Amino acid sequence: MIKSKLSLCIALFGITTLCSQNKELLYDFTEIPQALLLNPGMESSFSWYAGMPLLSGIYGQAGTSGITVNDLFANDGLDINDKVRTRALNGMTQRDEFGETIQIDLFNGGFRSIKKPQDFYSFGVYFEANTILYWPKDLAYLAFDGNADQLGRRFDLGHLKTKGEGLTVFHFGINRQIDPKLTVGVRAKIYSGIFDFNSSRNDGYFTTTAGQNNILANTMVADLALRTSGLEEIRSILSDEASGSVANVITKRALFGGDLGLGVDLGFTYQLNAQTILTGSLLDVGFVYHSGDILNYTLQGRATIEGVEVILPDAFSDPNADLWQELVDEVEAFIPFEENSDSYITFRPTQMYGSLRYNWGVPDTGIQDCDCDINGQLKTSRFQYRNGVGGQIHIINRPRGPQAALTAFYLRRLGSIFSLKTTYTVDKFSFSNVGLGVNIQAGPVNFYATANNLLSYSNLADSNYASFQIGLNILSWGNN
Amino acid sequence: MKKIYTLFFAIIIGFYSCVEDQNFDQFDDLDIIPTIEASLLYVESPEQIINDAVGAVWYINTFNFDAFNEAFFADNVIDGVITYELENTTSKELEIIFEFLDDSGAVLDTEMFLIDPAPTAVLMREIAYGNATGRSLDIIRNTSAIRVSASNLGDNTSVSNLPNPMINFRSSAKFRVRLK
Repeated sequence: MIKSKLSLCIALFGITTLCSQNKELLYDFTEIPQALLLNPGMESSFSWYAGMPLLSGIYGQAGTSGITVNDLFANDGLDINDKVRTRALNGMTQRDEFGETIQIDLFNGGFRSIKKPQDFYSFGVYFEANTILYWPKDLAYLAFDGNADQLGRRFDLGHLKTKGEGLTVFHFGINRQIDPKLTVGVRAKIYSGIFDFNSSRNDGYFTTTAGQNNILANTMVADLALRTSGLEEIRSILSDEASGSVANVITKRALFGGDLGLGVDLGFTYQLNAQTILTGSLLDVGFVYHSGDILNYTLQGRATIEGVEVILPDAFSDPNADLWQELVDEVEAFIPFEENSDSYITFRPTQMYGSLRYNWGVPDTGIQDCDCDINGQLKTSRFQYRNGVGGQIHIINRPRGPQAALTAFYLRRLGSIFSLKTTYTVDKFSFSNVGLGVNIQAGPVNFYATANNLLSYSNLADSNYASFQIGLNILSWGNN
Repeated sequence: MKKIYTLFFAIIIGFYSCVEDQNFDQFDDLDIIPTIEASLLYVESPEQIINDAVGAVWYINTFNFDAFNEAFFADNVIDGVITYELENTTSKELEIIFEFLDDSGAVLDTEMFLIDPAPTAVLMREIAYGNATGRSLDIIRNTSAIRVSASNLGDNTSVSNLPNPMINFRSSAKFRVRLK
């Protein structure tokens, strides 16, 4: 029961966690305040906004590359063993991944400085969790096929790569319009780590070769490590080894009672000409120092065994020796499995966005573009073009190196109520990712919803990738 | 306004999604059955040891061997093969008896080898367990010790003219184990 609770807990954490985290629909969607979290230097004309607590930004994303749920579990009459063999074992590589992300705004708000109206301040707290598991190709082959009849084949232990974390982020950002063409922004972040696990720097192999004395020799060279933070206390509570409640532990760690870290976001928007805008941002340049509730595991060393060996006459010296136990002890000595509680640092998965947008069309409101800054009379005119089209790039740092996504987008404004953004994104998950975002402004109430990979919605189980985001804000422009 | 409503409903429809029929019960039918292979026991004795022994039995020993009766292996082993190799470069005909013993020391299975004096070919033998024609898998599951006894069926004085004459006994096991 305890085990199942713990498994459920880990699974939930897992489900709430990672992928490419590309929010291509929200990026530079300037009517939505939460877009400031993707580019603190976004052009904005809000006077103030207040996100509805827990509802201002709910984001979820899941992705797999190389395989889908439908590939394995479609009710197609095929033998699942054949499907696993052809589509997973033979169809996936160690670069394929499974991942999820969730991000929930606990609260979020912003206001424009009265004394210095070119400055807009935004702040808030959000919870974020993400995990990634790369397909451990060689370990999967070892599990399904074993090592028999594969002399000389090296099963790469480095294929084991996984990482996950859950944390709350306290942030405060300043967005400043330097001049009518340039807006820059910076956001400071304090991370309060709730849990973390990572096993991403593994190396080594397992191989079976012809033995020097005996028929076979099994060799393992291992440099494996799993570092965890914030999980042991939960495990102890769930297994009744410690008192307390899991909720209290999570709450405490979420509010600076766990691992702490610092980070920064940077961004800018530059108007190349009246209708062309260049933007860029660098997010989560930071780290978390894990120092509390640490439990790390290591398996490091090298051993080759050829079974129990009796070499005469040497073996006569101790005829009662327990050679089997000696063999086991020898392996454990050469490749010790150890635990420690050493503190460690993890770097946040730094992301970079960039975009180039061309605007055109007469605004529905009839307001024309102006060469004015935020102090100008027509404060909203800078994003009132009816249409925008352009391209975006997103790059995120991952355990197996950077992942990139390219997006083409079209932005359309319909009156002062609706704004739509459609995207087409190419990344490692999909070449047919079409997304749609809508922003509705009903008086001071702002509601937005985005979802991508819509073409796969005819059968979500066959989708490699899906994400959504919704949010509700109260906001004001100008002198409202 | 009509255009806006149309667009709104289009969005709602766009967000409407389906999932084709999935059968997650298939997971129950998934078999994960690797075949694992490793050496078991190696015994090496130079001819001088045989010549020096008093009597025909020049070596006998019982080894603790818990690999087979480890709970996970014993519960999940399906079938397998144990391979033996004997290489005799001594001048004697030798008899090697390989016995599987349970916790109480009772003999579960016996394999006997007779090998001619050198020059002779390497003796190889494969014994199957657990499949239709193999021996009972319970032998493997209940084995906690292995006894090896070696007897000299020749004389105690001759020496092979081959370099470094000795008897080499090699063995390995290859078993299928159900992980799921």
